[in-house]
Amino acid sequence: MNEPTLRYEKIDFLGEGQFATVYKARDVKTDKIVAVKKIKIGSRLEAQDGINRTALREIKLLQELEHINLIGLLDVFGQKSNVSLVFDFMDTDLEIIVKDSNIVLTPANVKAYMIMTLKGLEYLHQNWILHRDLKPNNLLINREGILKIGDFGLAKAFGSPTRINTHQVVTRWYRSPELLFGARQYGTGVDMWAVGCILAELLLRVPFLPGESDLDQLSRIFQVFGTPTEENWPGMKGLTDYVQFKLFPPQQLRHIFSAASDDLLQLLESLLALYPPNRCDCTQALQMPYFSNKPAPSVGSKLPMPSNISKIETEKPSLKRKLLDNIDGGSLAKRLQF
Amino acid sequence: MLPGRIGGMHLANENPLGLSWHDSAWIPLLSPSNIMDYFSEKSNPFFDRTCNNEVVKMQRLSMDQLQNMTGLEYILLHVQDPILYVIRKQQRHSPNHVIPLADYYIIAGIVYQAPDLASVLNSRLLSAVHHLQCSFEETMMYSKYHPSKGYWWDFKTNKTVGASPFNTSQPAIKETSNTPKEEPSTLFQRQRVDMLLAELVRQFPLPVTPATSSQTNGVTVKTENTNDKDKALENNGVNNITIKQEPVDTISSDMTNGSMQGHVEIKTEIKQENMKPPPEKKPRNL
Repeated sequence: MNEPTLRYEKIDFLGEGQFATVYKARDVKTDKIVAVKKIKIGSRLEAQDGINRTALREIKLLQELEHINLIGLLDVFGQKSNVSLVFDFMDTDLEIIVKDSNIVLTPANVKAYMIMTLKGLEYLHQNWILHRDLKPNNLLINREGILKIGDFGLAKAFGSPTRINTHQVVTRWYRSPELLFGARQYGTGVDMWAVGCILAELLLRVPFLPGESDLDQLSRIFQVFGTPTEENWPGMKGLTDYVQFKLFPPQQLRHIFSAASDDLLQLLESLLALYPPNRCDCTQALQMPYFSNKPAPSVGSKLPMPSNISKIETEKPSLKRKLLDNIDGGSLAKRLQF
Repeated sequence: MLPGRIGGMHLANENPLGLSWHDSAWIPLLSPSNIMDYFSEKSNPFFDRTCNNEVVKMQRLSMDQLQNMTGLEYILLHVQDPILYVIRKQQRHSPNHVIPLADYYIIAGIVYQAPDLASVLNSRLLSAVHHLQCSFEETMMYSKYHPSKGYWWDFKTNKTVGASPFNTSQPAIKETSNTPKEEPSTLFQRQRVDMLLAELVRQFPLPVTPATSSQTNGVTVKTENTNDKDKALENNGVNNITIKQEPVDTISSDMTNGSMQGHVEIKTEIKQENMKPPPEKKPRNL
């Protein structure tokens, strides 16, 4: 029983959430730095039902998932009545980066973050799992510049046509209009909307739609995208919490995102389509011209890090990179010759 | 003529040297502090909205960040306070390595792209050759020939009466007589151009032989123009004068006026020296 706790040496206290405390620790066995998430026992009432539900969800799902852009669950151990989860250690998250005004997010950086997010999410959706709580805070980044989707506390399998889900998911600012209207059956669209909001936040460096209440959230959405009608959103009026809104005309996204290229605006428009079936899925999104056009996404080592985290020393390019560069130069010369 | 003109207009749309832009709402308010905002107006065709300036602005960051970025950026290069601002477009490779791409000048609120030397020389040469050709054609009108007398000059008789053998060239004459207001370049302009040329020669000293060959090249091209008369000139004009075709499509239609437009531009330059605002131009929002 004591053996696992000895395996992980506590280094630092990282943070405390609603259900858990997180520590930075060293894995004595592999000498790797990990994050240990110690689930709180909670009140007696909660404890009656056994282990905390969010922790159970994380354990259940993450055990079966493995992808470079998803947080890896390395180990689970129990100690007395506590349960602790051991994760990959991540240095920072996208929220910290977005809020750091010393960092400029270049178009290449934004593209790199989007690719990693969409790849992780694509894998998740292919395995019939909705994350349901995507926000910059849950997109974790390590010092190698690799982004991993974290916090599977609200994640759930989807696709069963009879299953009723709760609509009280996703932090409000990233919540899609169908959830705000109280839809109980939804799909990958809720995650795609959140990705769209995150992309917008990467461009603006402030939350795109910071609603103060659920109604205010909807009204902010419609002020940008126009109030939907029964024509462009069939069935909208049948949703549980539907309320009629003032008719706002749609705005031009290029006026809000003034420096965004056209291919980026195309992606954004597709992610933030009001009518859920019109929203693209991850695979479609990754196929869009934005990801194959210039500029190429930044490589991990070139992605910005908050100033308090020292960057890993990978300044000199690897041999592979050098070779690729040479090839690039060669092909350029060829092209000029005609 | 018509298809040629359309082609010329099309070319002008792609050639920024034929464009000007302004927003009259801004003009009374312009100052060194807001001139960059004016230049980054969405309707300004000279402004590339994917530049670093706009990225930084959209992210609500400090403009000091531009130094640390790489890519396209605009800087305020020169201010001559009430009337003239020069903005430079440049490619930044590192905090202390930038390559200028283009300069734009804002005179009395109207934005133009400063032409490169090649375009200036090209258009000046072309207009010089054009005037030469006109004068040749004019002279031809007065020359008379008779098998028994040979050639002689006849300045007395009326053009239309005396010029029966050369009737074909008449339309060209009328065109030239329509543009008597062409002004010669001023001393200021000549000095400026001489200075620029001298500086260029200092920077790139020409090897002797290629220099002469290129000169003769230039001359032969132009003489071809004069020999081929109307048609060749028209075609050449459309090809070479593209810099000035854009003003043509809004203000007037024929080629000679196109070159006049060039002179109008120059006039604004002179005004810059006198620090008087140039006359109001027709608004041309794109």
